[in-house]
Order: sequence, then C-alpha cells, then structure tokens
Amino acid sequence: MRYLASMAAGLAGAVLLAATLPADAQKVLNVGMAAADLGSLDPHRTATTPDKAIIGWMFNGLVRFKPGTMNPEAIEPDLAQSWDTSPDQLTWTFHLRKGVQCNNGYGELNADDVVFSLKRASDPKISSFSSDYADVASIEAADPSTVRITFKRRPPSVLGILTNYQGGNIVCKKAVEKLGDDYRTKAVGTGPFAIEEYTPNQSITLVANKSYFRGAPKIDRIVYRYIPSDATRDLAYTSGEIDLIYGRQDQVWVERMKSVPRTVVDVFGPGELSDMNLNITKKPLDDLRVRQAIAYAINRAEIVKFKGALTAREPVSIVPHDYLGTDENAPLYPYDPTKAKQLLAEAGYANGLKISAIQTQLPSMLNTMQVVQAQLKKVGIDLQLDVVDHPTFHAQIRKDLSPIVMYAAARLPVADVYLTQFYHSRSIVGTPTAVTNFSHCSVADQDIDGARQTTDSAKQKALWKEAQDKLVKEVCAVPLYEQLQVWAHRDKLNYGYKLDASLTLGPIINEQSTLQ
Amino acid sequence: MLTYVVKRLLVAVPTLLAVLTVVFFFVRIAPGDPALIILGDQASQQALAAVRHDLGLDQPLPIQYVDFMSTVLKGDLGTSLVTHRPVWGEVANVLPYTIELTLSALVIGVALGLPLGIAAARHRNRPLDYAARIFSLLGLSFPAFVSAIMLLLAFAIELRWFPVISEARTGDPLSRVSALILPAVNLGLIMVAYVMRVARSSMLGVLGEDYIRTARSKGVPARVVIWRHALGNALIPIVTVVGLYLGVLIGNSVLTEIVFNRPGLGKLIVNSLNQRDYTMLEGLMVIYAFIIVTVNLLTDLTYGLVDPRVRQR
Repeated sequence: MRYLASMAAGLAGAVLLAATLPADAQKVLNVGMAAADLGSLDPHRTATTPDKAIIGWMFNGLVRFKPGTMNPEAIEPDLAQSWDTSPDQLTWTFHLRKGVQCNNGYGELNADDVVFSLKRASDPKISSFSSDYADVASIEAADPSTVRITFKRRPPSVLGILTNYQGGNIVCKKAVEKLGDDYRTKAVGTGPFAIEEYTPNQSITLVANKSYFRGAPKIDRIVYRYIPSDATRDLAYTSGEIDLIYGRQDQVWVERMKSVPRTVVDVFGPGELSDMNLNITKKPLDDLRVRQAIAYAINRAEIVKFKGALTAREPVSIVPHDYLGTDENAPLYPYDPTKAKQLLAEAGYANGLKISAIQTQLPSMLNTMQVVQAQLKKVGIDLQLDVVDHPTFHAQIRKDLSPIVMYAAARLPVADVYLTQFYHSRSIVGTPTAVTNFSHCSVADQDIDGARQTTDSAKQKALWKEAQDKLVKEVCAVPLYEQLQVWAHRDKLNYGYKLDASLTLGPIINEQSTLQ
Repeated sequence: MLTYVVKRLLVAVPTLLAVLTVVFFFVRIAPGDPALIILGDQASQQALAAVRHDLGLDQPLPIQYVDFMSTVLKGDLGTSLVTHRPVWGEVANVLPYTIELTLSALVIGVALGLPLGIAAARHRNRPLDYAARIFSLLGLSFPAFVSAIMLLLAFAIELRWFPVISEARTGDPLSRVSALILPAVNLGLIMVAYVMRVARSSMLGVLGEDYIRTARSKGVPARVVIWRHALGNALIPIVTVVGLYLGVLIGNSVLTEIVFNRPGLGKLIVNSLNQRDYTMLEGLMVIYAFIIVTVNLLTDLTYGLVDPRVRQR
C-alpha cells in the first residue's frame, strides 16, 4: 500500500522532476559501458573488456605502464618504489612503498599482501592468468616491505607480468579472505577508486580513495553504468546522462561522434589483432599450397577500408603492432589472386574447393569474415560460415571443431605472450595445457623457448623475429587487421595524460583526471 | 467454482514439471561453457576444470537433473553459477520492475484500447474507424525496440522530459515513476493495438445481434445499448486477448527493458543466456511458466465473472 501511495505521489511531479533535477554538487563521472552486467571485479579472474576497464581504476601493480602508454621498456614504479636483480636475473627483490592503504578500511598494504596476491595469480585453480607465472619458483616476504621473487627460468618480461594488468594487480589479503565469494563484487585494491556500491544489472559506483598514495583523486565518484544497447548508450550520451562512453569500433560511429559538440573521440591502442588461424592438421589445410593460396587471396587493405581507416589498421606480423619483439617487417604474403589460383591448381583444386568455419555472430567479427568470404570466393574458395552465438563459438573452437578460426585478441605487449598462447605446441587446443593454438603449429617452438631463456635482449628480439617469420611462411595464421579501441568523452573530462594506449582497453581514470 | 480452481491448480503442477525438465535439458544441450565465460579465454584447462567441478558441471547429466529437481521441489531455485547468489534473491531484486512495467502497460492497453475499439465499432467505416485501425496496424507492426527508440528520441532527447536510462534512484519514488512512464507507454501501445482490434471486432459482432436491434427499436439510448447491453457480451474475447497477451507483454518487456536500460526479468534472462548461467535460466523459466499458468488461470476465472453461463457450467 505504501508502495502504491508513493507511486501515486510520484506520478504527479514525475515529468517536472525529470526535467529539473538539481545538479550534483560532487564531481561524478558517469560512464556507459556496453555490457549487461558485471562479470567479476576480481582482477585475477576476469578477462573481459567491461571488467578490465573498471579494474584499472581500482588496483595497482608492483610496477605500472605509464598512464596512456603500453611500452614494456618504459615501465615505472607503482607499489614498489625500487627493485634489484641478481646477476643471473633470476632473483628480483622489490622494495615496497610504505604507508599504502588498502581501500575500504583493510589496513596498510605490506609484503604479505603482495606475496599472497602473486601466489594467487600463479594458482591455476584460481587465476585465469596462471600461465604467465609458470616460471616463478618462489615468492617470499623478506621483511614487511620487501618482496623477493625467484624464477626457475627468466620470463621474457619480468616487469611485464608484475604491472597493473591482469595477474599483476595486487589484491589485499585480508579482504580476499574475509569476503570469499563476495570478492567478485566487492573487490579491494589500493587504487585511486574503491567500490562503494554494486547494483546487479545496472551499475557500479566507485568512490575516490582520498588517501591514495599518489594524492586524492579530483573526481569524487564514478558511476559505471551497464548499457548493453548501443543505441541507448549513444542516446544517453547525447542527452548528457553519461560523460564517458564505450564506443562502437567502426568508422561511422567515430565520424558521427566527432560531430557531437564538446566531444572528444579517443582512438587508441592496443590494436586487437584479428588472425585467421588455419588448422594445419586438417585437410585441405594440411597442404601448404592451399594455406598459401588463402594468404595470397586476402586483401588486407580492402579489409581495413571496410572497417574504416580511423579505427583499423593493417597488421605487420602475426604479433600485433608495438609489442616488445614485434617483427615490423614480417614477410606477410601480398595480395595476389592470380598466384592464389595457381597454387590451388597445383594443389589439385583447379576447380575450387569448399571449406567451412564456425563463426561467431558478433557483428564486428562476422562482417570481417564475410569480407574474407567474398575475397576467397574470387579465387575459387567457397568458405561456408556456420554462424553461432558467441559463447557457442568459444566452446566449439576449443573443441577443435573449426578448421578455420578467426580470433581477435590483445595481450600483454610482449611478443612471447602472443607467440606462446597462439603458436606454441603447449597451447594447442584439446591438450591438457591448451590455450589458443588453433592452428596446431609448432614450427617456432624452439625460437619461442630460446627467447624465453636468453638474458640478451637483442638475441631475444632476433629469436622472436625468427619465430614470426617461420609462422608466417608456414601460414599458421593469416593476419587480417588490427582493431583500435574507441571511446568518447565530454571535453569537461580531462584524463590528465595523453592517451595513446591502455592495456585495460579503456581510459585510465586516476588522481590526475579532472571533471569540470 | 472451488472444484474448478483446484482442478486447474492440479493441472498446473505437471505443466510446471514438464517445463522444468525441458528447460533443464535445453539449456545444457546448448553449446557454451559457463566456466570459460567466467574465467575468460586465457584460462588454463586446470582452472576451467576446477570451476566446472565447483559448479557441479562435471557430474553426469542424470545426476545433475536429479539434484536440480530435488532442489527445485523443495522450493529452492538454486544459486546462480555466475554471481553465487540465490536465484530467488536475484529474481526478487528485479521482479517488481517487471511487474510494474507489465501492469502499467496492461492498464494503458485496456484504458485506451477498449474505448477506441468501441468507438471504432460504433463508427464503422467512418474516419474515426479508419484512424483507429491505422493506429492499431502501426502498433502491431512496430517492433518494441523501434518504437522505444522513437519515444526516446522524442521525449528524452528532443523534449528532455524523461531520462534515457530508466534507472530509479534508491529511495526516490518520483524517479521511479519518471523512469517507468516511457517504457510503460512503449509496451502499452502494443497492448492498445491488440485490445482495440479485438474490442472492435467483438463489438461489431454483438452490435449486429437481434437483442441489440430490439433495444434500439425500443428507444434505449445508444450509450446504454453500448455500455450495458453490448459490452457485457463482447467482453469474453477481450478478456481472452488480455490474458493471452499478458504473456506477449512479458515477452516484449525483454526488448523494452534492454532499450530503456531498465532492470527486470527480461534483461536478466538475456544476460543469463549470454553467460550460460544454467541455474539462473532454469529459475527464470520456472518463474515465467508460473506467471503464464497463473495468468491463464486468472483469465479463466474472469470468464466466470463476466459471463454467468461459465459459472453455471
């Protein structure tokens, strides 16, 4: 009855109220994200874009990528203020900042928290990123402000796996132990913003961590709204209900948003590289000539033109641009349909051939494959697409059911990560150590492993280049294009740094960011 | 009447059990791995296996089925695979939003559709009739998501009377009403179209009956003929449509909730489907089935109220 009464009372003034709501005195940043709900705020568990963006505002690593960049060679201190390495580079000692507070009243962060966090990130039963820490031999607290990490073998980028990215995000031990399953929605870190409220299927509210060790944030709150409908998100931005919007990765959207007054469109890295992985164990793809024919038939410039030059770029290798160790001059096959037809004829397919592929119905991936389908058709390859929903796609490609797998990904920007996960025999789908090697290629195993073991940076890069060249020549995958990240914001929001790249796939909002 | 109600309730039990069984197997036949969705595409096989074990998904299907049925029959819909919270709790959070949306749409549908249908019947083949029929056709033709966008463009963007995001602020009933109006109108317009068409055709049938002609020839005023003599007999098909389309409304509320970014069962079900949250999906299906069975029962009972012959049978 009280409910009905309040509804009736509200009805009278509803329209007026909606039009005349007073402005909030606090600096509240409203964000619109393309998702229906939170997956998880646990940084060691989640890998989805909507979760990663918000996690980037709540956590720190021992070290960090400078805001707005993703260069592993310019990593800077974060929770650790300095570090030493042993001569063999197998033991790393990190000296922690003192006085860093865990959010939500969980006390001062110390070495125990860091040890607990990194061990948790290494635990394959808990962490989605445990393979990044496979080389770790031990993690121990030498004293309350010193953490010592010993490696069995030197990982390709020690600092890379200790950044504020995925497993490198440091969680507060007491909070994880106390919250249990609830940590998923009440995660506690040491970042500039802390969880205040989670409303399922609607929003997450973060509040500024006034005792943040780099200084109190100038934005008081962030309301991260889940708005799955693209049209509604755009309209909410137009109406002024959100200030920062996750964009559609297409040219038309960028051009339209650029025409919206007082709007800044952000197009930044990392580029998510879309590769077409070819299963070299399945007929007819077990014939190198057929794989080469496919590579020659792909017109990458046309794909980029289709996706839009403002948001997409041509790949340079089977590892994305700007990663540590990317071969910027990999011997990618040029577009040459005549050569493709000739190779098909040599392989016994002069009259063409039919190949099928399971494909997600996710529009951005499906429309790319439809362009590929048209390009292959021109040389006589009939690519049949079995379109399924996205969860089904992921489940089926991991059962090795699709001879061709188009996959788009961005990873820690070190060539080893991409090469290991996609092209090392350890990662072949269907095996106990599977990750995402859909091609079943193993031609570059020695080079990938060799690069991991060497401490000579030049030699490491040479081995990675060698690995990429071999994989390209073997046509384990055909790179199609790189998709850049697209967001837009009101000009009253200033990030406080230049946004060229962000591994969380969203702008970092921190103590430097302001909202006028 | 009581026997009738008891009989109907007893029939509902096997219906719900059948729905439970079908839903259980359908959601599991659908490809997709909840563990992979929870952990992401870089998770190790070990991590995936651990999550599958925690969720009980590594058990044989018959054992999962028996576990599921025994839990549900105890009145417990289980725990969400993704949020680890009770399904009842998750549903209880959003159910009021869906109920207020569908009931508001129903009220709008009947309040506008019934008089429009009667007016169209009274003025058959005249401008008012044509206008009402065109309006009805438009209402039926426009998908809910298209009309929703048009309403948002007009009233949230141009006129700025309402917010785009229909999210009520906690402890603020005014914002709740404000957030309800556009979605309710969007859903209600579809209902107006349905009710108007049926009311019109039903009234046309009744208005041609001998007893109506007799009443008119006796000089009974038109208003009385329509509202007292004709409407009572025309109501049965209208009640049927309202009952049937309440189910359609609940279905359409999925799109309305998504476009207006409004919490509700529809949004929850789409999200659960994308996340392959089996227990949540099963729980939601049970609730949907229960709502449909209840609405059908209430519809049948309403027949008895509007038509004494049904009561006598």
